[in-house]
Amino acid sequence: MADNAMNGSAIELTIDGARVKVPPGTRVIDAAERAGIVVPRYCYHPGIPSRPAQCRVCLVEVEGRPKLEPSCTLPAADGMVVRTASDVVSEARRSVIEFLLVNHPLDCPICDAAGQCMLQDYAYSTNQLESRVNEPKLVMGRDRIADDILYFADRCIICTCCVRFMSDVAEDNVLIVAKRGSKAYIDTFPGRKLDNPFQGNIVDACPVGALVHEDFLFKARAWDMDAAASVCPGCSTGCNVMIETKENQIVRLKPRYNGAVNSYWMCDHGRRCLVMTNRGVRAETPLIRDDDGELRPAGWAEALEWTRGKIEQAGSPGGEAIVSPGASNESLFFLRLLLDRLGIESAGFSVPQGETASLPGVPTLKLRADRAPNVAGAEMFGGERADGELAAATGRPRDGGALVVLDDQLDGAGDSFGEGEGLFLYFGARLPSAARHADAVLPVATFAEMDGTFTNADGRVQRFHQALAPPGIARPAWMVLSRLLASGRNGRAISDIREAFARMAESTPAFAGLTWDGIGLKGASVADSRAAAPEAPAGTAG
Amino acid sequence: MSYPHRSDLETSTRLSRYQGRPEARALDGWERLGGYEALRKACGMSPGEITDVVKASGLRGRGGAGFPTGLKWSFMPEGGDKPHYLCCNADESEPGAFKDREVIRWTPHLLLEGCLIAARAIRAEHVYIYVRGEFFEETKVLNRAVVEAYERGYIGPNVAGTDWSCDVTVHLGAGAYIAGEETGLMNSLSGNRAEPWAKPPFPAQSGVFGMPTTVNNVETLATVPGLIAHGAEWYRQWGSDKSPGTKLWSCSGHLARPGNYEFELGVPLRDIIFGACGGTHSGKAVKAVIPGGSSTAFLAGDELDCATTYEGLQEAGSSLGTASPIVMDASTDIVAAMRRIAQFYAHESCGQCVQCREGTSWVVRILQRIEAGDGAPRDIDTLYDLCEQMTGRTICVLADSVVFPLRSALDKFRADFEARMKQRLFAPAAAAGGSARLATAGV
Amino acid sequence: MSRSIHPAVAGAQPFQLAVRERPDGPLLQTGEGKERLEMVLSRYPSPRAALLPMLGYVQSRKGWIEPSDMNEVAEALGLAPAFVHSVATFYTMYNKRPVGRHFIQVCTNISCHLNGAGEVLARFLEETETRQGEVSATGEFTVIEAECLGACGFATVVQVNDRYLECVTAEKVPEILKELRDSARSGAAASDEARRGSGERSP
Repeated sequence: MADNAMNGSAIELTIDGARVKVPPGTRVIDAAERAGIVVPRYCYHPGIPSRPAQCRVCLVEVEGRPKLEPSCTLPAADGMVVRTASDVVSEARRSVIEFLLVNHPLDCPICDAAGQCMLQDYAYSTNQLESRVNEPKLVMGRDRIADDILYFADRCIICTCCVRFMSDVAEDNVLIVAKRGSKAYIDTFPGRKLDNPFQGNIVDACPVGALVHEDFLFKARAWDMDAAASVCPGCSTGCNVMIETKENQIVRLKPRYNGAVNSYWMCDHGRRCLVMTNRGVRAETPLIRDDDGELRPAGWAEALEWTRGKIEQAGSPGGEAIVSPGASNESLFFLRLLLDRLGIESAGFSVPQGETASLPGVPTLKLRADRAPNVAGAEMFGGERADGELAAATGRPRDGGALVVLDDQLDGAGDSFGEGEGLFLYFGARLPSAARHADAVLPVATFAEMDGTFTNADGRVQRFHQALAPPGIARPAWMVLSRLLASGRNGRAISDIREAFARMAESTPAFAGLTWDGIGLKGASVADSRAAAPEAPAGTAG
Repeated sequence: MSYPHRSDLETSTRLSRYQGRPEARALDGWERLGGYEALRKACGMSPGEITDVVKASGLRGRGGAGFPTGLKWSFMPEGGDKPHYLCCNADESEPGAFKDREVIRWTPHLLLEGCLIAARAIRAEHVYIYVRGEFFEETKVLNRAVVEAYERGYIGPNVAGTDWSCDVTVHLGAGAYIAGEETGLMNSLSGNRAEPWAKPPFPAQSGVFGMPTTVNNVETLATVPGLIAHGAEWYRQWGSDKSPGTKLWSCSGHLARPGNYEFELGVPLRDIIFGACGGTHSGKAVKAVIPGGSSTAFLAGDELDCATTYEGLQEAGSSLGTASPIVMDASTDIVAAMRRIAQFYAHESCGQCVQCREGTSWVVRILQRIEAGDGAPRDIDTLYDLCEQMTGRTICVLADSVVFPLRSALDKFRADFEARMKQRLFAPAAAAGGSARLATAGV
Repeated sequence: MSRSIHPAVAGAQPFQLAVRERPDGPLLQTGEGKERLEMVLSRYPSPRAALLPMLGYVQSRKGWIEPSDMNEVAEALGLAPAFVHSVATFYTMYNKRPVGRHFIQVCTNISCHLNGAGEVLARFLEETETRQGEVSATGEFTVIEAECLGACGFATVVQVNDRYLECVTAEKVPEILKELRDSARSGAAASDEARRGSGERSP
């Protein structure tokens, strides 16, 4: 295997016959992963610094040592010969699983973790088809340890990942092991519940089904869910997440590792806001204003044709725009092209604000006040941040200028918002009543229904992928816009995200050199997102 | 009733000489008996010289593991500006052992003297004496001795008139056997759950409060003043080469004269049981003896001729442990006795390691079932296998502690277990009558 | 009764006593409690090490430790209350529920088991008309089964509050209970407070 950036002090050991080079200080369990060998583990979690070596499932055999050693704490040493799957090791591992199952209720059929449970997995892989246990089980029951988290003590294997996440990473010493021996269980101070903005992570850290989010309880089986890599829209940090869906509904969010952003974790606000994406009345079909002044549904071909005609008719009237810091970079880019065509320079956007919170163990992971994922992107494409509800200030009857709105809910807009003679185009995922005076309503997808990128507060461009099918015939805004702008002499419509990204990158200095495939699932930094705001890309549009 | 039986074998009552003599408890009396002379002598020696004497004496730790004391002291780093600590392990809780209690309540100053000499040897500035919580009365005696020694300048600044300073603090546990394990003790002393930690770090590198620490048992430390006063050769006149010296034996169970006795190491176990202790109180034969506290392997009644040295008991298939023979006469229900022992370890498991947390309590429940007559022959195989799985796989040796007696009980008293097995309708033993009746009914 | 306790032994005072004040409100902010806290703190490089001694102190005053006490100790030592809860539940000698005035712990471990501890325990329960861990109707007794008390040569060993009764047999149980009842009634028996610091053994 390729060893990159190994200096002379690297140590070399042999794990299951494979030679592995690792930097000094590496533990055997991590060294094994470099050789593609995953040693089973419960109490070891790469995101939690303390390693109590107490679950004893990661024991390995080291040549020349009389006892099996826990690979999670054992430092790799030069010339060390390690076996992770010898008969002795396998037998020890099998017995750990057997011990864990002695008092386990074996309630996999009703356990949320079934299918994603490390106890279940290892029980199968160690071939525990029969039990020697002929004793009644110790029964401990369940407890509510947070408003939205339940603790099933009978399923708990006391790996203490949850306890140590709270103490080591969140630095909030609220979760503990109470009592001892076979009576030990996880507990909070009597009468108190967890109250930490990052507490949801204990559910993810739990390798079994002992900790469960109540809003997920009994909702879906692991094998019935689909998952897509995405980015949390909850704030401008842009935590990497997996969106898990069932029947085109988001049922659960899990943080996805990204060492530069959120490590293994995310905040509870993010979890809640993503699940909320399911809510609201969606715009599913384009609406255009017919000759007698009523909005009526239309197919895309008709709607785009109609709108294109209106744009040409309008010329370059100038006007105003409201954009969304929740829209993708690509959508904002193509919208910028439209605004340029219409001669609109000013595009305001407002950012919902909220309380901040930080996770002491991961300095880059903060719940930021800006509760939108792409504030940096919105600024990069010429948006101007406004305080308060933008629609209240913007929505005056116009004097012939154009008004373009991209996915803003138009909160605070008056009854007469957008009334007037000029052109009013509304691109939105939902249909607020303030859009009633629009000339065309073009339904777009939410971020969960499309591929795209956001730029986070640290200037990191990150990809998200489609997790849901959009409702009706809604489409990603960038796709709608690119079709709208495409006309005979003005290039073709783009329907591939790679191409859309490339188109954006070639005319946006900040994205120079970046490609969709190149930024990958972990994202890449924009050179300097603030300085790199593009010149009005004159010429690209027309 | 407090000290019912004096040793019959007056071979060598070094440690226990003043046990039972109230005057030894108070400092005045203790000084009249020659107390603190050894400390004065040690104050004229360098730490290295003290350690050398202890090394030469071959003294082995009396807490159960038998690790050479002098060698342990020599692990303490030389130089460096970190404070060193000595922890005296007075968390005596191995079932069968009650020797440290005797040292503390009769000769508290002997213990303090040993603590101070050891502290000088390892350059410790503070000695913590961790006494098990239940020993309130013993602690009161010790407390008074500590205060007396402070008042007379044996503890505190300028120990015994030298320029060396050392403090002693008595610390009371609160009910946890595992606090007697050295890392568990240090965790408990620091105010944590008494959970053992995986070594490294070793105590001499990073022990209590993260500083270099030595943990020694009460009896070990109480032996030290004698060594310093009389020298290593004096001590080596008793015992064997590998097990020099004398040892307190806590004898309990079905004995005519249970109690603490001091013997030279190597005395035949039989002599202790039938000599000093007068055999069983019932006069019945000895069925089994657990020689070193409940965590050591059973010896059968015909295996008692072994020498009571570390190596002698090891050869006999058990170990010296805390030298606490628990004697069981012929009427003993071995299954119930084993179940009771296992119950203790299940109760005291700290719960970190899976094998120990789940294994000990599983063993208890299997034994309870067998005891209740609901066992099956395969349970014995299961128990043997659990012994295998619970050995050498955990952070500390608590799980191993239930394995030693269990495996030996199965080896040596298998018939007792089998006799309790369920008498099933179709099992061979009961089959004759039962199946015959069924057969008749069927015809 | 002497309150002058040497700091070296301030953290090692008996904490299972028959005489219990039941103070309302904080224990460690003023007076004896504060003094004890400061003494104990002076003996260790880390305030956390005072946790066991201070939990013991609270129990010696109240007879048991309830969550509000854990909170107070946590605050006094700068620890998280949950951590204190974790430690307090690890150790079996901290009473998380009230116990009777005479807290009777019968060792049933191996040596005592061999010498009739089971009968002793049964007799105590029978005579006090309680089940294990219950406070008797009069509030006088709580009886539990205990693990090895470290006096195996004197089986059966019974701990009553802070003292050991040795070589107890089932036959002696009624007499023991009578003595305990009488001592409470007459008030003549030395209180636990007075016995504090004494080195004398009880009969």
